[in-house]
Amino acid sequence: MKRHHLIRSLATAAVGALVLASCSGDGGGSDGGGGSDGGDVVLELVQSGDVNQGGGYATLTERYFEETGVRVDVIEVPNDDLRTRLRTASQANDPPSLAASPSTDPAWTDRLLDLTDIFNEVGIIDTLSVADPADGLVKALPTTLTAVGMFLNKSLWDEAGVDYPTTLDEAWTWDEYVELSDEVVEATDAEYGAVMDGSAHRLRAFLYEFGSEGVTEQPDGSWALDEAGAEALEYFKQLHQDGVMPQSVWGAADDPSATFKSGRVAGYMSGVWQIADFQETITDFEWVSVPLPQQPVRATNYGAASWIVAFDGTGVEEETLDFIRWLYSEENYREYCEISGCLPVLDGLEVSYEEDEYAFQLYNAEILESPPISAVQTTDGVLHGYQGKSVDSEPLQDETVKFLNNEQSLEDTVENIGRITTDQLAD
Amino acid sequence: MVTTHAPTAPRKKRPMRDLRRRRGEIRRSIVPTTMLWVIAVLMAFPLLWFLLSSFKPGGELFSYPLSFIPREWTLGGYEAAFERVDFMRYLGNTFIVASVSTIITVVLCASTGYALAKYKNPWLSVLGLCVLSMTMLPGEVILNPMFMVVRDLGMYNSLLGVIMPSILTPTGVFMFRQFYLTVPDELIDAARIDGASEYGIFLRIMVPLARPIMLTLAIVSFQWRWNDYILPLIILGDPDKFTLQIALRSLVGAENINWSVLLSASVLSMIPLVALYLVFQRYVTSSNINAGLKD
Repeated sequence: MKRHHLIRSLATAAVGALVLASCSGDGGGSDGGGGSDGGDVVLELVQSGDVNQGGGYATLTERYFEETGVRVDVIEVPNDDLRTRLRTASQANDPPSLAASPSTDPAWTDRLLDLTDIFNEVGIIDTLSVADPADGLVKALPTTLTAVGMFLNKSLWDEAGVDYPTTLDEAWTWDEYVELSDEVVEATDAEYGAVMDGSAHRLRAFLYEFGSEGVTEQPDGSWALDEAGAEALEYFKQLHQDGVMPQSVWGAADDPSATFKSGRVAGYMSGVWQIADFQETITDFEWVSVPLPQQPVRATNYGAASWIVAFDGTGVEEETLDFIRWLYSEENYREYCEISGCLPVLDGLEVSYEEDEYAFQLYNAEILESPPISAVQTTDGVLHGYQGKSVDSEPLQDETVKFLNNEQSLEDTVENIGRITTDQLAD
Repeated sequence: MVTTHAPTAPRKKRPMRDLRRRRGEIRRSIVPTTMLWVIAVLMAFPLLWFLLSSFKPGGELFSYPLSFIPREWTLGGYEAAFERVDFMRYLGNTFIVASVSTIITVVLCASTGYALAKYKNPWLSVLGLCVLSMTMLPGEVILNPMFMVVRDLGMYNSLLGVIMPSILTPTGVFMFRQFYLTVPDELIDAARIDGASEYGIFLRIMVPLARPIMLTLAIVSFQWRWNDYILPLIILGDPDKFTLQIALRSLVGAENINWSVLLSASVLSMIPLVALYLVFQRYVTSSNINAGLKD
């Protein structure tokens, strides 16, 4: 009897669970990411961001629903997997209504809606205009600006009695920065003079400051890192060898933000999004935004944090375009920037930040003074998507890590960066 | 005056030999016991740090010198986690996926393993080889074809789409097959002579015999499905159907990680698995096969 009971229980549980699972599914592809929900229009906005970015969208979509009755569901997707998510959704013929994507992707660029009219109406910064070379249409709009900048542990510098520039009128070079930060390390219990995020985006800013144009297309169609870039990489390695920067961040993917927040690092080369985070999570010391060191070029690396794209074939295309138009209206977009604590992409838009306004102003000023090359990386990403080129790795970052870890020489590093980039991008 | 003493039983003396032996045992056990405690503390240390950190405010997580015990206790991370993540929904989804997958996995693996072990047919051997060869393939290799199949079967964006691809675990089949090979064929022959049907033999004799294997696979399978990330990521598009692991990963921003929320949410997501362990710890510790298995 016991055995019968066991078998019956197992069978009942399996059937019951199957039914339950079946009920919870919708049985397959939906109507394309948006659609009618009992008569109401529902749009799906797929995006990835921290609480600030998500909070900005949440507030605006709530107001949009009150104003228009159109619901916009903000779907948070892990940042590292946003690309995979959009690809599979496209493969399953179930793309969302719109997405804030890091770049365009050959897997779905052929099904994007034309956003040219909205682009022309709202006045987005010219350098962030990227049209599809095939038809001249703009199909991706930048969401917010992100730029590389420098933060100092103000408490340490004050304790050491070392001065630092606070406006762009007072320039400093990397040589000067290293000298001054050494003084800070000697005079305080700081361990390192600087730390920099382990990303190609940050490294490009560093290269630009040394007069490099980064990895660029050559007349013969190949891609290569220029001589100034190679010198910058050598300098970068010297910073690690001399102990100015910790080996663990670039060499072993240690968390640079946590390293800076420990209070043992004099300076941190990171991005504008840190401001909102620092306001909340740094309580043991004071920090300050300062101009980036130059050697001798004043340059940051800036671009769109992500790009708004809208998908065709969802059945709610008109409503999607209406929402994007509404989102980029001056009033709404300003509010988004204020909530999210980010720099605007609309030309000349005044945004008032509650705290650390000076830091945002400094970032904006650095963007304005940067050479044109500083905006190219982000627009290139979109352009490559249009052209069907899939860039799945960052040779500049990957090869530099090998160089820093003494796995290869500078010559090999420069050669590998050019070769791998050429493999990915050459026609 | 005559005093009389009640006769008492002679006191049982503990033999000196026993005493010496016990002392020797204690002496010998001091070193290994101490080592075990040291290892236990070392193993528990990161977990405790993780647990205690979830009660620290964001500003204290990385401040130097690092402190093991929170200087200021807060539930802010947990409050924010509950605010940002619809825990009950995601817990429910994950529980459905993990439990349904586990039940079907055990049933299917048991029957497949039995067939492969006890029935003689050349095609069964081929099938067995095919199943076994799957254990040698990394999951990522078959991810894309698996996605296509799920999509074409109309299970995209449903929990069923996450459940179905994972129900036949090659490792589970192999475990049952190896177990049933050790069961003598005479037992089956005797049952046949007694008039038992083939289904009856399997359900009434073989399934009860394989109960330890069933429990082991059930625990391991539940853990696999609970922690599974990549399959739900590519199959589920609707946030209402997300599993807990996707929801947790979504807390990690592009560049900025809110550690206090992530730590608290991770602690909450661990609770069901810890509860499972506490209930079934006897089987988990005796099975001890998790480390060598791959999904």
